[in-house]
Amino acid sequence: MKIVVAYKWAPNPQDASVGVDGAVDWSRAKPGISEYDPVAIELARRLAEATGGEVIALTAGPKSVDASMARKAALSRGFDRAVIVADDALEGAGTTELAAVLAAAVRHIGDVDVVITGDSSVDVGAKMVPTVLAGQLGWPAVAEVTAVSGSDPAAGLLRVERAITGGTQVLEITGPAVLAASTDAAVPRVPGMRDILAAGKKPVETLEVPALDVPASGTTVTVTATARPDLKARKGQLIDTADPAAAAAELVAALRADGAI
Amino acid sequence: MSINIWIVVAGDPAVGNLIDTARSLGGQVCAAVVGSRVVADTVAAGGVDKVVWFGEPGKAPVEAFATAAADVIEATPGVVLGASRASDRVLLGAVAARLQAPVLTAPSSVSAEGDTLVVTRSIFSGIAEETVTVSGPVAVVLDGGPIPVANPAGGSALMEEVSAVTLGMTVVETHSSDFEQVDLGAAPRVVGIGRGLKAPGDLAMIEALAKASRSEVACSRPLAEGLDWLHKDRYIGVSGQHIAPEVYFAIGISGQLQHMVGVRGATTIVAINSDPNALVFTEADYCLVGDLYSIVPALTDALR
Ligand SMILES: Cc1cc2nc3c(=O)[nH]c(=O)nc-3n(C[C@H](O)[C@H](O)[C@H](O)COP(=O)(O)OP(=O)(O)OC[C@H]3O[C@@H](n4cnc5c(N)ncnc54)[C@H](O)[C@@H]3O)c2cc1C
Ligand SMILES: Nc1ncnc2c1ncn2[C@@H]1O[C@H](COP(=O)(O)O)[C@@H](O)[C@H]1O
Repeated sequence: MKIVVAYKWAPNPQDASVGVDGAVDWSRAKPGISEYDPVAIELARRLAEATGGEVIALTAGPKSVDASMARKAALSRGFDRAVIVADDALEGAGTTELAAVLAAAVRHIGDVDVVITGDSSVDVGAKMVPTVLAGQLGWPAVAEVTAVSGSDPAAGLLRVERAITGGTQVLEITGPAVLAASTDAAVPRVPGMRDILAAGKKPVETLEVPALDVPASGTTVTVTATARPDLKARKGQLIDTADPAAAAAELVAALRADGAI
Repeated sequence: MSINIWIVVAGDPAVGNLIDTARSLGGQVCAAVVGSRVVADTVAAGGVDKVVWFGEPGKAPVEAFATAAADVIEATPGVVLGASRASDRVLLGAVAARLQAPVLTAPSSVSAEGDTLVVTRSIFSGIAEETVTVSGPVAVVLDGGPIPVANPAGGSALMEEVSAVTLGMTVVETHSSDFEQVDLGAAPRVVGIGRGLKAPGDLAMIEALAKASRSEVACSRPLAEGLDWLHKDRYIGVSGQHIAPEVYFAIGISGQLQHMVGVRGATTIVAINSDPNALVFTEADYCLVGDLYSIVPALTDALR
């Protein structure tokens, strides 16, 4: 099987700073592999181990996604090779544009049986890239996937388990398909020293957007205003907990005085 | 708006908020409904002008109709609204791809100015907000809201049944597990517990506090996804529930952005954490630095 994992190289908004005008400054936020994408990688490796086949890393973003540290961080996680679309034209690209680029890259790779993604990216967190990607390819998509196996890999049949409200469901899917892993689908392996050393020797194909066949959007989106959310001012009152009973009494009294309980 | 307004429905008729939002834009509202006839009828009676229904799904999951939904909407593209649930996102994603339409999430307001759509939305897990004007087809993901109430005057939208070519997907097994449904949004007080809790058995202590303070129990994401100590509908945050209770007790929760964004509407936040530098203290009204295992029982006693 040819398995592609789409991972994002992105910073955590927790580490960004936001000006009073709502401008986001990412300079102190260090990018990394998006928090839940290692779960997708783990699902892909299990599938590859069970069915044979290769696991290909795929990411798209500005040039920084192809930095040597970024490459190593991905390749040390057990990929056979990587395809990286690195183009500064993708700085700030939206969900649909990114998904269109990823779809074009999947077509470029060719004969892909399944694309596995994370649940949501750490920065944008729309949970939409996988579904738009599937739409671009005309493939089935399933989110909240908890397990995947090849029920009849030769026939391109996938057995996919997914979480639904109050339960689980097993689907049989004629691939190729795009599957978004639930955050708790698997516990990712931590790369060891050997993996990190091996990462440098894995093949990487770097592409720019013009090399791919990416359809254009006819919609224009114009940002007319940005703002910092208006957060409630908090009291930040410290209650001494040396004596838990006294602390509890003080808190209860304060909450009663506020009319909160 | 003179452009087309669509809502996509993925087997779950809890789309009241989509209908209200679509209506407020002031145009014809069409619904593309995947699911049973009952779902289609509920949507048809709930205030849309027209329903396109794809027929009984049988063993095909909702997602199998993604291409069919895109085919229908492509004929009269416009503003397309979908709920943030997993299957709804798959349908909306297929439509957005077909229209090459941008996707906007987490809106706090959606309105129309002539034929442009104006959306104010929260971005990057809520650290900032932006207002955008959009001209051309666009997909907007929002909270589905409740099941729409049938128009009291009676009458229902025009229903058109179309036959759909489905993608190769079949449901082969469904397992349901019992869980107690809870409306955290309606609870005046919520006790939220995080990874500071050492063992699932210790939830009894948290439940005792919840009982004494007449609160519902909620949690951070890792407790519901990964540890499975609480059901998924009980976790709070950017990808979970957003609540605005009178009091939120954040216990053994570090207070990372992705969690806190779900409780920022709380009137009062109480934080209990053993780490004096925990982020949660920067967003709390009452800060108790210490071991939750000694503070929680004391607090439960004080409330009794
Ligand atoms: C895209 C994305 C979306 C996410 N969405 C959500 C979401 O919707 N909701 C959500 O909750 N998270 C979400 N997260 C995860 C979030 O970033 C945090 O990882 C998570 O909220 C941390 O949970 P926690 O505070 O329980 O655990 P930790 O961060 O591990 O914190 C545990 C805390 O317990 C304290 N503690 C330990 N022992 C004790 C004790 N004995 N007494 C008192 N305190 C103690 C520690 O000091 C620590 O602060 C998301 C992440 C990403 C990347
Ligand atoms: N630029 C990207 N390159 C590769 N994969 C991505 C990219 N953006 C998102 N993804 C994948 O899509 C998932 C959901 O992202 P999002 O829709 O941004 O929440 C992520 O967990 C990744 O697996």
